[in-house]
Amino acid sequence: MYSRSVNSSLSQAKPSALKRKLIKLGGLGLLLSVVSFGQMQLSQAASLEEVKARGYIAVATEDDFKPFEFVENGTPTGFDTELLGMVKKKISIDIKQDIMPWPGILPGITTGKYEAAVTAVLVTAERKGTFDFTTPVAESTTYFATKKGSSIKSSDDLVGKVVGAQTGSAMLGDLKALDAELKKKHGGSGIKEIVEYQSYPEAYQDVGNGRLDAVANTQINLNSLIQTRPDMFVLGGKVGNPVYIAWALKKGNTGVQQLLNGALLDLRKSGAMYQLQKKWFGATFEAMPQSVN
Amino acid sequence: MNAYDYYSILQGAIFTVSLSIVSLVIGVPLGLGFALIRWAKVPFFKDLVQAYVNVIRSCPTVTLVLLIYYALPEFGVSLNPLPAAVLALTLSTTAFNCEIWRSALVEFPKDQLDAAHALGLNRLMRMRLIVFPQIWRSSLPGIFNEITLQIKSTPAVAVIGIVEITRAALRVGSNTYEPLPPFIFALLIYSSIVFVFLKLQKYFEIQMKEKGYI
Repeated sequence: MYSRSVNSSLSQAKPSALKRKLIKLGGLGLLLSVVSFGQMQLSQAASLEEVKARGYIAVATEDDFKPFEFVENGTPTGFDTELLGMVKKKISIDIKQDIMPWPGILPGITTGKYEAAVTAVLVTAERKGTFDFTTPVAESTTYFATKKGSSIKSSDDLVGKVVGAQTGSAMLGDLKALDAELKKKHGGSGIKEIVEYQSYPEAYQDVGNGRLDAVANTQINLNSLIQTRPDMFVLGGKVGNPVYIAWALKKGNTGVQQLLNGALLDLRKSGAMYQLQKKWFGATFEAMPQSVN
Repeated sequence: MNAYDYYSILQGAIFTVSLSIVSLVIGVPLGLGFALIRWAKVPFFKDLVQAYVNVIRSCPTVTLVLLIYYALPEFGVSLNPLPAAVLALTLSTTAFNCEIWRSALVEFPKDQLDAAHALGLNRLMRMRLIVFPQIWRSSLPGIFNEITLQIKSTPAVAVIGIVEITRAALRVGSNTYEPLPPFIFALLIYSSIVFVFLKLQKYFEIQMKEKGYI
């Protein structure tokens, strides 16, 4: 019985081997064409005319970047969400907001599924190559925080220590730059290890249980952490230089960009944006430039 | 953690369970159909099924979810997060169920089919009376293993904004800055869901024993 079935499958396998290979190639080709198609059409975002015809602007916001944006008792809240609420009242088109984690946000902009990332995007030189930004909504500097009672006070004390930051973030870039600077200054010895995290809650947890000596994030985020958990964390020193925070759009989508900018600049002029900054960050940033592109 | 935080993670459990069930209700029978196509060596389609299974097996679920949500609009199919999640999870589990069914079919003794043929049973009767009861019995552990794996692969759809158990727990932790309590609660929910499915497997096995199949 066995020998028969083996034989029959062998005799059938021979003539179809080539065909099977072709099918496999076909499958691969289909996958590649999906990928290349995606790249070919990258330049096409919904323009202002298309958005107007559709009746709404689609935006994406993060869910775990307190105090900029987070979910409390099932409702999205935070600085950016409240600012978006004010922008909605100023423009004639409806805005549809989806809440999702950071890894899904920037792909959503580059593929054109969303017109804007209404979330705290730090404006860096690399990102300027792929995205256009609205007028800045906040300004921050990367700092580090440690466990209460730690001997680490300034960035020089980070030599030989383990420090964490979010993967793919601007704060991680700042941390790497600081490491290079420390190595130059201290004859080759810098940060012992930089650990990358998917999101900040895990990094804070690791500072708490001693796996990390310090965590790098924007001063605004760390202030919120320390206000909520003063028993556990303290603010350390500076890690990077001040950067602007803005909403990101697909490069070249100037129609939607100008629409949002009009509303945002109005809110700056009336002082409403500064009041919101005071409420969520405890500080205002009135000296920000009009454009960061 | 306040009462609403526990409630929000339980709400996430509704998404986890319903997404798993919907994808499995489609994926388990569809997987059987695909396995039969390969078993019966249907020309062209058997190669198509094999290519599909190979592509899905090599693609991480998160990548598949992102691909369906962000790449399909380029072909004019713009899905909302929920249908995109169902489609991705179904495509994924169907491929694995196909392989589970196929392994039972490959092992199926062909002389039984010859005997049934000799007795004059037609194709449908051979399938229903001879093949299916036996491959169902031998596939059961594999299928229930896939069910538990499917429940635990649902966090992949969080990347397009579906809030299942793990994402709900993460949100609570990022607000309270104490991620451990919500994760422990999430683990308890996952365990209870899987426990229910394992009980169901036990029930099926006892039934088979009573019928004298095992």
